[in-house]
Formats: sequence, C-alpha cells, structure tokens
Amino acid sequence: MSDTSTNAVHIFERHRAEMRASKRAMNILALVIFLICLALSMWISNFTPERLANGVPRIFEYFQTILPGLQWDVLFEGRNEAGRATPGSLTYWYTDFWTYMSLIWETILMAITASLLGAFGAFVLSFPAAHNFAPARWLHWVSRRFLEICRGIPEILLALILVFMIGIGPLAGVMAIAIHTVGALGKLFAEVNENASSRPVEGIAATGGTWVQQMLYGVVPQVTPNFTSYALLRFEINVRASSIIGFVGAGGIGQELNRVISFYSDDRVLAVLILVVLTVTVIDLISERLRLGFIGRENFA
Amino acid sequence: MLKLDQLTRRFKDTVAVSDVTLDFPDGQMVGVIGRSGAGKSTLLRLLNRLLDPSEGQILFGDNDIARLKGRELRAWRSDCAMIFQQFNLVGRLDVLTNVMTGRLFEMPGWRAMAQVFTAEERALAIQALDRLGMAHTALQRAETLSGGQQQRVAIARALAQRPRILLADEPIASLDPLNAKIVMDSLRSINREDGITVVCNLHTLDTARDYCDRIIGMQAGRVVFDGTPAQLTAGMAREIYGAEAEEAFNESATSTSLASDPDAAAAPVRASA
Ligand SMILES: Nc1ncnc2c1ncn2[C@@H]1O[C@H](COP(=O)(O)OP(=O)(O)OP(=O)(O)O)[C@@H](O)[C@H]1O
Ligand SMILES: [Mg+2]
Repeated sequence: MSDTSTNAVHIFERHRAEMRASKRAMNILALVIFLICLALSMWISNFTPERLANGVPRIFEYFQTILPGLQWDVLFEGRNEAGRATPGSLTYWYTDFWTYMSLIWETILMAITASLLGAFGAFVLSFPAAHNFAPARWLHWVSRRFLEICRGIPEILLALILVFMIGIGPLAGVMAIAIHTVGALGKLFAEVNENASSRPVEGIAATGGTWVQQMLYGVVPQVTPNFTSYALLRFEINVRASSIIGFVGAGGIGQELNRVISFYSDDRVLAVLILVVLTVTVIDLISERLRLGFIGRENFA
Repeated sequence: MLKLDQLTRRFKDTVAVSDVTLDFPDGQMVGVIGRSGAGKSTLLRLLNRLLDPSEGQILFGDNDIARLKGRELRAWRSDCAMIFQQFNLVGRLDVLTNVMTGRLFEMPGWRAMAQVFTAEERALAIQALDRLGMAHTALQRAETLSGGQQQRVAIARALAQRPRILLADEPIASLDPLNAKIVMDSLRSINREDGITVVCNLHTLDTARDYCDRIIGMQAGRVVFDGTPAQLTAGMAREIYGAEAEEAFNESATSTSLASDPDAAAAPVRASA
C-alpha cells in the first residue's frame, strides 16, 4: 500500500464519520421537533385520554340510532298491494334504493370527469414543472407555484367557494376535485419526468425537434406507465372525495348523506353509508386490478 | 464549407473549448482525438448548437450558426445530424418511429403532434434502415436491440434527416470490436457515397487513422494538431494523449485490428459480409 492510498482511505473515513455525525444530529433534531409538534397539537385540540374515553360510548349510542330495525320474519317481504313496504323488511330500509344508486352513479361520473380533467391539466403542467425539462426558469417557477396552490387548497373549501360561485350541484364538485387533482397529480407527474432519461430528449433535439416534440417523443413514452398508474390511484382517491364533497352541496351521494344525517339521523344514514363503503371498495379493487394488469403488461411486453 | 472562428466555450471556470479556428470543407471525413476532458464532445455540441458558444463564430456559407434561434436553429440541427455514444434512441418507441423522428423538422406541426406519418416518410425510414441492415427490426421496440444495432438505428435516424453534415460523438465507445467496425464502415460509406461531411470524435487513435481523411488533435480545449493521418507522428500522438497514451494505443489494438489487420480477426467479418 502506498502512502497516498492509505491517506485516501483515512480522509474518506473521516469524511464518513462527519457525515454520520451530522446525520445523527439531524435525526435527533427531527425527533425533538416531532415531539414538540405532537405535544402542541394535543394541547391545542384538548386531546386527553378522558375525553376519548367519554367519547367512545357516545359513538355506540349514535350507532344504535342509525341501526335499521330489521325483523327476520319479514326481511325479504316486498311491497304490498297498496305499494307500502313492511317495516322491518329490507325493502323498507332501502325505500330510496334507486335514488341512492343514481346518486352513486353521479358520484362515480363526477370522479371520472374530475380525474380526466385533472390528469390532463397535470400532464400539461408536469413538463414545465420538471426542473430538467423546463424550457424557461420563469415558466418552471410559475407552473410549480400554480401546482402548489392547486393542491394546497382543500377540496372541500374549493367546493364551498365554487358552490357559492356557480351554484349547488355536481359541476362545482367536479371542478373542485379536478383543480385539486391538477395540483396533486401534477407534482407526482413532474417527479416522474425528473427521473426520466434526458438522452432520448437530446436525440430528438438533435433532429431539430421543438420543445413540445422533445417532450412528446422523448419523454412521454418513458413516463406513460407511471402516469397511468398514478392517475388510477388518484381516481380511487377522487371517488372517496366526490362522495364526501356533497356535504357542501357540490353534488353526488354526499349531498344525500348530509341530508339524511341532518334531517333524520335514523337507519337511512347507515343505508347510505353502506352503499358508499361498498362503492369505494369495489372501485378500489377494480382500479388495483387495472394498475397491476398494466404494470404487468409493461414488464412482459 | 463550415468555418469555426475563434470559437470558445466556458463552463464556470473551465474553458472546455478555447479559441478554436478551423475549416471543414464539404465531404471530408474528420476525426477528432484527444484525451478525456479535452473538449471533443463540447466542440461537437457547439457545432449543432446543443450548446451555445461563449465567444466566436460558426459560419456555414454566409450564415452565422452561432446566432441562430427558433425555427432557423432547428433547421440547422436538422441539416447537421448527430449520433451519440449512448445512441439516444427512445427505447420504448419502435425502431421505425425512432427513425421517422428524423423527419420531425420537415413535418407540419399537427402531424408531428398527432404522430401521423405518411407513406413516404415510412418508406424513407425503411430505406435508411435497410441501408444499415436493420429493416427487419422496424417494428421492434428500440430498447430490445443490442448496442450495435441501436447505433445503426441511430445512424438511420440521422440519415432520415437527409443531413449535410453528420456529427458523431464517440459512436463506437460502447461497442464491441465487430459492431464498432460495422458502425465505422457505415459512417465511411455515408461519407463517400452521399458526400456528407462526417466529424467524428474518437477515443482510439488507430480508428481515426484508418477511417479519417483528416485528424484534429485537441488538448485542454485547444487544437494542437490538424493534418492527415500520415502527418500524425507517434511522438505527436503521445503528446496529444499525454498520460492516457498507453490506454489509447492499447485500446486501439482491440477496436481496430479488424480494420487494420485483415488476418487477425477476419473470420467474423467475412461471415457477416
Ligand atoms: N455541462 C457541463 N458543465 C460543466 N462542465 C462541463 C460540462 N460539459 C463539459 N464540461 C467540462 O468541459 C471539459 C471538456 O469536456 P468534454 O466533455 O468536451 O470532453 P471530451 O473530450 O468529450 O472528454 P471524453 O473523452 O471524456 O468524452 C471538461 O473539463 C468537462 O468537465
Ligand atoms: Mg466526450
């Protein structure tokens, strides 16, 4: 071993020790900050074990009021000649079944429309928002800030504002979710772009391609599988969001849920809740299948 | 004729290309040699303006290439095709589409956006591929090809541009000797048959000697040699390569013995020819 090479090892080891020490310091600092934040938030929200203990029984009380009074002997009884359902039957519990279904359909359509619109906006903005492909510094800055604003405002708040502006109904909900989707997906898409190889892009640039062509031919083929996967994931999230957003009058099943909770607070609440949970679960399963199928196809193509 | 006049490019405090004045007459095959970091890649990238010069002029006819912008700049790049060490194909697109991207500059914007290619464009691309013996891979994804095959597709893309000048940045540095020979032979035939000026960065001396009409030696951004292969003495070469001399000479034994010494490795070449 020559002097210079042992020296190199020595310098490296010192460097490594310094890095580890500073990393450890960072970790401890992060832990302390986390603990402080936790304590603060518990103090502000008055979160104490007693309060939780007092609250739990009340949850059960509420559940009792929304449980349907189903009776086994008449459970499957249909409507009688007068068109009335027997109390205690499923038909009685789900009197408004078809109203719920059409609202759930509306909710799914809202989620699809919002996801498509949002994914399109995110797609367009993700190229200037990726620092390696941005055609100009200012455009990069503007698109980044725009995406931050879009995802910074909670959907429900956006929906409130939009309901106020364009009126009650699904349009406000779709717009609110779409705007949030642009922000959330746009950031993810931009990160995917930042990991894309610049070599094909350079190849297209060298043929005399415009910036748009460089993105379209050089980047898009590389990132499509990831974009699709993220967009489907976002669609799952948006189904959930669009079933909640109706609480502020922005359409979908949430509006009905809000109505039954505030006006009746009886077994109809559970009826709607069950449908919402079922819908979300089914959509999750389908979308997961799609995503896995898609990724699988990519790997074996 | 392409003329460089006191061309300089700086990166912060390194001067990658320093005060280079050169003429490239039409139809020449030029090899640029020099050790790692000498500024070869930077020089080539300046020529098709993938990099902007810090100072100096690039003249093609009466045009100052260094000042081109927008559509004119893209027109120049389309005239001045480039192939890269790492091929720079779009791996997930098929070979044919990769070659047809060589036509992007000439295509109307909406067709380029919609990725609609005409029968002529397809025909041109297939002919270019066929010339490099790659037509049978046209519908395969580019990433499924071997390195040598990808480089041939990249050359076909360059041909599809119908360029006047072909720049090649270490086109054989990631290839095995046999593929290196195929690629260099194609570059030579493009130069001889189509009269296209070829400027090629090469890491190994013997390849440059075997294929080029003229060799330019660079050192620390400056041109320190410009002449025919015969004029490049061993002493001169040693000076250009400096500490890397041994490596450059040794590597050359593997990468060009096929071309320079017909007996040494003739069998695979004849088999494929
Ligand atoms: N984008 C860049 N940013 C900063 N410095 C750069 C950049 N590109 C090149 N350089 C520097 O410019 C000098 C010349 O680099 P260049 O890539 O042209 O050399 P080269 O002759 O092609 O070397 P090699 O044979 O290793 O490819 C080097 O010192 C390099 O570090
Ligand atoms: Mg280089």
